[in-house]
Amino acid sequence: MYSLHLSAEQLEFRDMIRDFVSQEVKPAAIKSERLEPFEQPLMTGQLDQASQMGLRTMALSEGNGGSGADALTSCIVAEELAVGDVDIAAVLAETSALSHILFDKLMSPEQRERFLPAFTSDDRCHLAYAGREPETDTRIGIGYHQKRTAGGVATKAKRASNGDWVVNGVKSGVVNAPVAKLFIVSAEADVDGKSGTYLFVVPVGVPSLIVRALPQAKRTHHGTAGDVTFSDCHIPAGNLLKGGTALLEATRLHDMAINLGIGRAAYEAALEYAGIRVQGGKRIIEHQATAIRLADIAISLDVTRNTVWRAAYASDHPDAVSDRSLPDMPLATMARAYTATAIYRAAKDAAELFGAMGVMRDMPLQKYIHDAFICLRSGDGNADAKLRIAETLAGYRPA
Amino acid sequence: MDFSFNEEQRAWQMKARKFADEVLRPASLERDRIADPAKTIDWEIIKKGSKLGFRTAVVPKEWGGHGIDFVTQALVMAELARGDSAMSKAFSQCWKWSHLISQVCTQDQKERFLKPFLADDTFVLGKGITEPSGGSDNRLPPDDPKAGVKLRAERQGDEWILNGEKTFIANGNVGKLFFLDARTDPNAPLRNAVTLFLVPKDTPGFHVGKVFNKNGWRFYQNGEMIFENARVPHANVIGEVNGAYAKSTGDSSGDLFGDLELAANALGVCDAACEQSINLARTATQGGKLLKEQQIVQLKINRMCALTEALRSFVLRVAYEHDQRAHSANAGLVMNLSTDIIQEVAELNADIHDSAGIMDENADKLVRDAFIWSHLAGDAVQRMRVSRRVLK
Repeated sequence: MYSLHLSAEQLEFRDMIRDFVSQEVKPAAIKSERLEPFEQPLMTGQLDQASQMGLRTMALSEGNGGSGADALTSCIVAEELAVGDVDIAAVLAETSALSHILFDKLMSPEQRERFLPAFTSDDRCHLAYAGREPETDTRIGIGYHQKRTAGGVATKAKRASNGDWVVNGVKSGVVNAPVAKLFIVSAEADVDGKSGTYLFVVPVGVPSLIVRALPQAKRTHHGTAGDVTFSDCHIPAGNLLKGGTALLEATRLHDMAINLGIGRAAYEAALEYAGIRVQGGKRIIEHQATAIRLADIAISLDVTRNTVWRAAYASDHPDAVSDRSLPDMPLATMARAYTATAIYRAAKDAAELFGAMGVMRDMPLQKYIHDAFICLRSGDGNADAKLRIAETLAGYRPA
Repeated sequence: MDFSFNEEQRAWQMKARKFADEVLRPASLERDRIADPAKTIDWEIIKKGSKLGFRTAVVPKEWGGHGIDFVTQALVMAELARGDSAMSKAFSQCWKWSHLISQVCTQDQKERFLKPFLADDTFVLGKGITEPSGGSDNRLPPDDPKAGVKLRAERQGDEWILNGEKTFIANGNVGKLFFLDARTDPNAPLRNAVTLFLVPKDTPGFHVGKVFNKNGWRFYQNGEMIFENARVPHANVIGEVNGAYAKSTGDSSGDLFGDLELAANALGVCDAACEQSINLARTATQGGKLLKEQQIVQLKINRMCALTEALRSFVLRVAYEHDQRAHSANAGLVMNLSTDIIQEVAELNADIHDSAGIMDENADKLVRDAFIWSHLAGDAVQRMRVSRRVLK
């Protein structure tokens, strides 16, 4: 049965986060100096609080010390956090998603024993996947509906005489890199005579691992990101992980939920203002011209949420697709393409209601537009997302 | 129908193109990056442009200006905006109000204000309309006497005493002379209650408040104006007392020019965006092939160019109609439409850059500049104001 009834637990969780956001996050995030489009330090105090509420380890299984949240719950949480502060939402969502992949799926019990306690007990232990490289072009672009040779990675891991792995290479635009204490790194290696791309876990602090934060203007992702250089980085033999990169490179549904949260923030601001501002002898919400704008924004947010939640539900319930309740389509990529366009439009529409205040850097509306614009161009961009969808619809690429 | 420009029009267009290429564009990003909104203007650029005639271009020849026609004005604004939209506006804002001085001011006022304006390369003009409590109400005035302009002017002998504030005023912090709407009748609806005053920067009791931090059009500054018992001589009243709104309709209206101005400026931004995208498509590669090989890029460039050329036709038609004194709602319509066009074209340009994985500051700046149109030219109130003219 395809159902979007939220459990009592999900609803309670959502209310708790709403309270946290309105009391602790929003008042700090909306300060005018934070709204300027320049480098803003992450709100570490609120990140710590969120971690103590379990939001950093939310997707990690209960057995490993998390809450075992599914994709839908993660989307609900990411949206609520992003209404308050998009960067906090992005950092937490990335660590939470990676904690599930890393500890529940890629690690052996022995590895968990070495790394898990430090991760769960440290509110500031964030995770990052160092996959993309300066020369990586994952765009389909001109290669649409044509054979592509899977490009390997240039980063190399070689055995030292004592059995250690020695990693050399450069990773670029790594989400969470500046705050990460553990990196999952992809590298070319020869394991038991089989060469290919393997994953390694690399703790920050090993000599010759250098993280350089990317300036905000160069980022296409919310939160924080950086370039990571490995020069003869020695890591123990036991840091080789099992499994490949597919899980790590799948579309992150929580990114769409964060985008939705940006739209919510813009909508809530517009709705509130329209109920206060008086022009033409009445509150502007009483004017038809405002009415249709607000209605369009509300429709847009609701359709977007349905699209994102449906994709999340499908990811949590593969049987909903196999029993034909949900279509066998690339729902996550479709959600990405739709959300990015719809929310950018909604943020612009909301800002228009504020007149000149909608373009001022010390007011929140221009930040919402800017934040939505970053989502529009994140990853490989919206045009490429559409090509990816079409390749799947055409049967050229598996969903 | 004759679409050719005369020699004078062509000469001004070429002069503006050269100035935009050599002076405006090279400084564009550098000024845009300045974080302090009170420091973005570069007076050397204003001076250079002024010496070439761009500040005083529309002042009639008999007063020592250049008296260029509307078609030339549109061509020049678009060329300057191709270099930098905000810089173009910094010059054309002076035209907007020198139109007004030359057409509705008395001989004495022209002597006192037009002459110093012409003589000083850094003399820029502004107009104060918007107040914290009234933006839309001043564009589409309701009958309620409480709505709209609150800044009060009370007569004392030969002077008027002004109290109140104006907000979001272009050039508010850098202008040397302002045209100021002030309420002279507290009990009448706006259209019979407001008087237009000439207020020089050094008026006692007037000072500049905060400088607004816009996300686009950075070069073109915007400030708050505060009046505390400011004293303005009666000789500075433009037209009739309580007649500001009557004066601002019809041929002499600054708005008539203002509508064309925003559309022509948008055209220049669209030209810049098309140029960037076309250059990029011809030179950047993705997957080892030139971007222009991609159908999705071809379709986007088609859309950008079609919209830009349609806007050019409409802008020049309105400018031509203005020169023929054949006024209609067209100026307002092209202004409204330019909002949709400038934003779509600027966003497509950014999108094409994304296809090549290129983050381009210039492309991003055009998107930010284009959003300014949302509240100046294309918001619901501006559209309804134009519809009112269509439907009357």
